[in-house]
Amino acid sequence: MDEKNIKIVAFLCNWCSYGAADLAGVSRMQYPTDIRVIRIPCTGRLSPKFVLSAFREGADAIWVSG
Amino acid sequence: MGNLLEHMGIERDRINFSWISSAEATKFVEVVKEISNKVRALGPNKKLVKDYN
Amino acid sequence: MDTCIQKIREIAFQLLDKKEVERVIGFSNGTIPMATSPITIASKQDTEKLVFNSTCGLNLANYIRQQKGKIAVIAKGCDTRNIVTHIIENQVKRDQIYIIGVPCKGMINKSKIKALFEDEIIKFDEDGEILNVESSSKKEKLNKKDYLRHNCSLCQHRNPVIYDVLAGERVEEQIIDVPYPDVEKIAAMDADTRWGHFQDLTKNCIRCYACRNACPLCYCPTCFVDESGPQWVGKGQDKTDVNTFHFLRAFHCAGRCTDCGACVEACPMEINVRDFTRKLNKDSLDMFGWEAGLDLTKRPPLDAYSPDDPNHFIK
Repeated sequence: MDEKNIKIVAFLCNWCSYGAADLAGVSRMQYPTDIRVIRIPCTGRLSPKFVLSAFREGADAIWVSG
Repeated sequence: MGNLLEHMGIERDRINFSWISSAEATKFVEVVKEISNKVRALGPNKKLVKDYN
Repeated sequence: MDTCIQKIREIAFQLLDKKEVERVIGFSNGTIPMATSPITIASKQDTEKLVFNSTCGLNLANYIRQQKGKIAVIAKGCDTRNIVTHIIENQVKRDQIYIIGVPCKGMINKSKIKALFEDEIIKFDEDGEILNVESSSKKEKLNKKDYLRHNCSLCQHRNPVIYDVLAGERVEEQIIDVPYPDVEKIAAMDADTRWGHFQDLTKNCIRCYACRNACPLCYCPTCFVDESGPQWVGKGQDKTDVNTFHFLRAFHCAGRCTDCGACVEACPMEINVRDFTRKLNKDSLDMFGWEAGLDLTKRPPLDAYSPDDPNHFIK
């Protein structure tokens, strides 16, 4: 098991969590590098297809945040 | 959504939902750490992954 | 059931005769015994072709969309719930359809009966609660109650929810203490066993999409399985693709499925695809107290926000 290389696909809302991620970045906060962020216009844009598609392409976990 | 995936046998911790305001950078960092730890404990996902070979 | 079909034919005849409706959608005898197929009738002479018995397992609510003019449809309890869903989702207008409601005592599980015979069934008829089934080697008298489909044996809405006319006496509703025993059974397994169960369930799937086509809920002009850019799911029998298809199909039915059993009825491989949708039905009942298609005035749970949403992450 390669624990160093897990991939979490994060679907972040442009207005909420994406802003928080941006703020965390400019504030130079430290956080794990396992997440791969996908910006979506709103969590309402998220279709269940996206989640399954992410698993299909080999994601280890999904995180949806509004 | 999480419920059906879990019902099918995908581990619950692999699918996460949360709500963070754009001012909550600290909460963002906390949630990333929490999810990352949970998933590291589970290890890599083998279910629902397409094998292209 | 014989009196019921006389009544149906009579109503259909009157409607077509007075030109109140342009077409009547119902069931006719299939080409083999113990089968019926949907039929659309436009002339009053053809009303003799209509039948209604315990083999009418398909859901006629599937055929009422995109019809011109007023149409009449013969509907069981679950079919009327799907018609309600259609009206809520703006697929049809209430005044465009004339519903001939049929109180239903359940449909039979054809594969269970076929399994009793080694050779082909050549004759099937029913007399009240008794089914007479005949093949070239033997004859059987069966009790209908023992051969109900799984969803019909757990059905709590046998009488039509909305109708313009009823073609029979209302039947007594069943009282079911444990409405989802199958879901609970699966839920009791651990994650890997559950995964194994669903792998086993779908291993025979040939991806014919009969379940999708038979389902009255599946009306997207382009289904996600047919989309090619991006392609969400592969076309072959790869197990990931099969899983993705079944999972997404089930999710599209969340809070809308009436458990009519048309998907299982249509499946040529006899896969119990209801194992997926029933979990979501149970969830919408447990979380939102919702059963699809009972009320024309209520919005479905996945369509509305409420401050007391049971999901913890939304607060």
